[in-house]
Amino acid sequence: MLRLHEIQEAFAEVMIEGKYNAMAEAIVPGSSALRSMALYRRLIRTNYTQVLNVTYPVLRRFVGPRYFDILARGYLKRYPSRSGDLFLYGRHLPVLLLESQVPRLLVELARLEWACHEVYQASDSPPLATDELDAVTSADPSHVTFRLNPTARLLRLSQPVHRVWLALQLDAPTDIAVDLPLPEEETGILVTRAEGRIHVAALADLDYRLLEAMAERNTVTELEQMATEADPGFDFTRFMASILDLNVLAGVSMEAPS
Amino acid sequence: MTCLISSSPIPAQAGIGLRSYHFQEILKEPPPVAWMETHPENYFGDGGLPLRVLERIRARYPLSFHGVGLSIGSANPIDRIHLQKLKSLVNRFDPTLVSEHLSWSSVGGRFLNELLPLPYTQKSLNHVCSRIDEIQDVLQRPLLIENITRYLTWHDSTIPEGEFMAETARRTGCGILLDLNNVYVNAVNFHLDPFEFLDAIPAEAVWEIHLAGFDHFGRWLIDTHGEAICPEVWGLYQWAIHHFGPRPTLIEWDTNMPPLSVLVDQAKQADAILGGCRVATS
Repeated sequence: MLRLHEIQEAFAEVMIEGKYNAMAEAIVPGSSALRSMALYRRLIRTNYTQVLNVTYPVLRRFVGPRYFDILARGYLKRYPSRSGDLFLYGRHLPVLLLESQVPRLLVELARLEWACHEVYQASDSPPLATDELDAVTSADPSHVTFRLNPTARLLRLSQPVHRVWLALQLDAPTDIAVDLPLPEEETGILVTRAEGRIHVAALADLDYRLLEAMAERNTVTELEQMATEADPGFDFTRFMASILDLNVLAGVSMEAPS
Repeated sequence: MTCLISSSPIPAQAGIGLRSYHFQEILKEPPPVAWMETHPENYFGDGGLPLRVLERIRARYPLSFHGVGLSIGSANPIDRIHLQKLKSLVNRFDPTLVSEHLSWSSVGGRFLNELLPLPYTQKSLNHVCSRIDEIQDVLQRPLLIENITRYLTWHDSTIPEGEFMAETARRTGCGILLDLNNVYVNAVNFHLDPFEFLDAIPAEAVWEIHLAGFDHFGRWLIDTHGEAICPEVWGLYQWAIHHFGPRPTLIEWDTNMPPLSVLVDQAKQADAILGGCRVATS
């Protein structure tokens, strides 16, 4: 009689490697041992493919279900799940695509979808309170730093991949057309969440760099200096108003750097 | 029978599974069902729409948590992180029932994301009971254990499944979530008499019933929860309700999702059977 952990270890091995004979004698022959294990292997593969379908719906729509299924099989083999938390499954897909030397568009689309996936369940954080904002206006700007909302992600892509993402949303207008191949055009993307829905937007280059600097806790003085050096006519107030609208900020600090 | 474990009792009526596919429809017009059940693992995230929806659902309906990831039968120690996440959700949402499966899905750091059968042996029984004790200690509430569908029979199995479940409930004080579709699917796949299983289950241990549909794949019936409940499972349900008494009953649907109204219709059908039993016994 095999011990429980021996049965389970061997079964898991069979499911991953597909060497059914290793397990056959532990299963009652009348139940068609090999077919049973093949069925379980198929069910497991289907379950994990379904997880990737949910996490990468746009990529799946773009490449088609057949290619996506092949991709999902390859992913399960290369990056088998190491957690019972299915939310984490699939985070290496952009790496797998990169390793597979597929067109860069697919890698970046996967990166964008993983960012959306993270934002979807990121912790809720209230927008900056009015009194905090009032305090900022009278504080020493060389002491003011902001904290980005957990529901905001910045992503630098080498092509405007967000156009594909937007065009392939289920509720996208039918007249959106995206010309392929996409131009080689570095694009800064902001992913946010509002009312539970994910929003993806391409930012002007300087807006993106300012948000990056903000995420790195640069002070308002440093941000203003950076903006003016890049564009002497830059409207910093407009920039701040726009990111407040997008609920990108979750906290502010007005303490002098130690 | 009314389950009174939490502050919000679940009546012996039909409920439906809460799935993200129906979020908008449910929020727009809450369906006329007595309660809802959901997989807690879908709410392990830190925030966002799923948790907000669950808060609104909980404010309106009694709730049941039906876990799929604890891997109770695993030979490895219980995943404490998973259990703590579950406990946090239980504390936050106070579900009336918390259930899991009599199965394993991970071992040695490998996760298979499938409800896999145990060999039904004395050693497995001891192991499962000690794990359920551990989980119940952490959650500070009794657990319900569901009978699963299986597509193989372990050579080592020496205890009939029904007896294994009954003894697990007796030793640990856990309840049994009786999935009648699983009973039926196993009976067809392995040419078993479903009543051999059902006769072994003590009525007082049955705290909830699941009804669902299956698909065909070659010679197998597969427990996909993607079809309407078949007439044979409705027949088993009628027998079970008369034999065990009225119990909270879930219409479970996870794939090939239909409009919400289809689930509500199936729930009404279950309620009619539950109501018929009450009339007959009053």
